[in-house]
Amino acid sequence: MNSKLIKELPELVTNEVISEDVAINIERYYASKTENSSNRLFMVFGVLGSLLIGLGIILILAHNWDSFTKTTKTIIAFLPLIIGQFIVGFSILNKMSQVWKESSGTFLFFAVGSSIALVSQIYNIPGDLSDYLLTWIVLCLPLVYLLKSNALAILYMVFLTYYATELGYGFNTTDKTPWLYLVGVALVLPYYIQLLRHNANTNITSIFNWILPLSLTIVLGAFVKQNDEFGFLMYIILFGLFYNIGKVPFFDSQKLRRNGFLIFGSLGTIILLLNTSFRWMWEDVFNTPDLFTQEFYIALVLFVITVIVLAYSYSKHWIKGFNLFQYVFILFTILFFIGMSNEIIPTLFVNIIIFALGLVTVKIGTDKFHFGILNYGLLIITALVVCRFFDTNMSYVIRGLLFVGVGFGFFLTNYIMLKKQNPRVIQQGK
Amino acid sequence: MKTLYIFIIFIIVAVAQLYIPAQMILDQEQVLETGTAYKFRTQPIDPSDPFRGKYITLNYELDAFATKDSDWKRNDEVFVYLKKDELGFAKIDKLSKHKLESGNDYVIAKVTYYNSYSEILRFNYNFDRFYMNEDKAYDAKVAHREAQRDSSSNTTYAVVYISNGNAVLDNVLINDIPISKFVE
Repeated sequence: MNSKLIKELPELVTNEVISEDVAINIERYYASKTENSSNRLFMVFGVLGSLLIGLGIILILAHNWDSFTKTTKTIIAFLPLIIGQFIVGFSILNKMSQVWKESSGTFLFFAVGSSIALVSQIYNIPGDLSDYLLTWIVLCLPLVYLLKSNALAILYMVFLTYYATELGYGFNTTDKTPWLYLVGVALVLPYYIQLLRHNANTNITSIFNWILPLSLTIVLGAFVKQNDEFGFLMYIILFGLFYNIGKVPFFDSQKLRRNGFLIFGSLGTIILLLNTSFRWMWEDVFNTPDLFTQEFYIALVLFVITVIVLAYSYSKHWIKGFNLFQYVFILFTILFFIGMSNEIIPTLFVNIIIFALGLVTVKIGTDKFHFGILNYGLLIITALVVCRFFDTNMSYVIRGLLFVGVGFGFFLTNYIMLKKQNPRVIQQGK
Repeated sequence: MKTLYIFIIFIIVAVAQLYIPAQMILDQEQVLETGTAYKFRTQPIDPSDPFRGKYITLNYELDAFATKDSDWKRNDEVFVYLKKDELGFAKIDKLSKHKLESGNDYVIAKVTYYNSYSEILRFNYNFDRFYMNEDKAYDAKVAHREAQRDSSSNTTYAVVYISNGNAVLDNVLINDIPISKFVE
């Protein structure tokens, strides 16, 4: 495509369509573009190479070479670290390309991990895996900012999540809450915000748009200790927060696949609601949660943050029209507290909410002419029907009719939309 | 100029990255040099750590002591004051919630639970990991089991250096032979 354009340039110049300067500029532009893409490829291979070598070193050292003396082992512990530091220092001083910085930074990241691991191994230093991971990532966090390295930022997030799950979910750790995880996330946020400001449409930013909600979703459960009931509420509110962040025009105007917040928020909300659409959940699980526990306060804080995001969106006139997804967390919170004394009202309303969300999604799909969204909406309704299929106290005939109805719904809506779309395609073709 | 600033900060970070493992080594070395060696009877089992390799977890026999004080919560710190028997094995002298003035060696352990019926406090030491070569860790567990079957007394013990409340696990021995040699 580009080469074709470049071949045409002399002809355009001779026919005086464009000036010679413009032709040179165009040529330069495409030349720099190809350079960029080959650079990116180098970067990926550089980082992957460093990552594999670093992990390999850690594994080789984990073998525990007990025939070496303590001194030899100590030298081996520091060797990769010093080499890594030397290369990173060299890249900074000589203003080497980003490829250098990303690759050397990745190597140094694992060298730090291997040196602490080996020292712990030589001296049988006590401490759980989570302590070790925390020391490791704290020592590497400044590198993210010093090298402006995306690979390091991702590694940092991955290992921070690992630390939090190790501390919070582990066997026999019911009394440990990974509060430092929150500090860790706060420390990497400036980097993410800067990415959003300057590189909003790059792939790396969309990776972060996914990693952040993914990590928070994984870790939130580690904050649930005795009060599992509130865990449900915490997650519903978290997904509400994600959805509302995803609806901020900055994210909403981007392609759907870049908007991890919106997809996490939507899927999470639906899955949890389907879980709580069973009556036995409200009878057996949500009956008497203890108030004013750690889980209660976390849910409260999350609720306040989400309401602030929602109110801010209102004040900025970002919210046009009514989208039920954005308010589900409020409705569910009310139902949750009603559920403490009554199980019929919440069961009924959760079912109604899911059905309404399905319809809302179908409507969004038809408005946007998006088959994916349309069928997602139909899937929500189908899932609801399937869930009710397991409630044995409903007559077989009614269940059968429901299935037939939804099946027809699939055919009809898709057919109608195809019909509507076809004339548009034909018009465009003309 | 900006590069220079970044480089200076990087040097600080690099020094921290070197300082932490170096400090870990120095702390341990100091205890090994100045500390007193105690023998703790123990039983090994073998889990593994993804980054630091295989290790054996040591279940110490000296993990409980009778006390009338019943006000203990899980994970409370307990100062375990030690003395030696004639064979060099550690024995508990007394327990305390705070550091005492007396000159005895002590380690800080974590409470697991207090049995108010038998008035016995149970606790864990933090020096319970002994890293081993990946081919030997499992054999070590088996060797211990067999050594125990052969003789009536438990002959597996850990040598722990103790100084100012810091403990460094130096080696684990079966019948006075280091466990890594024993399994060869």
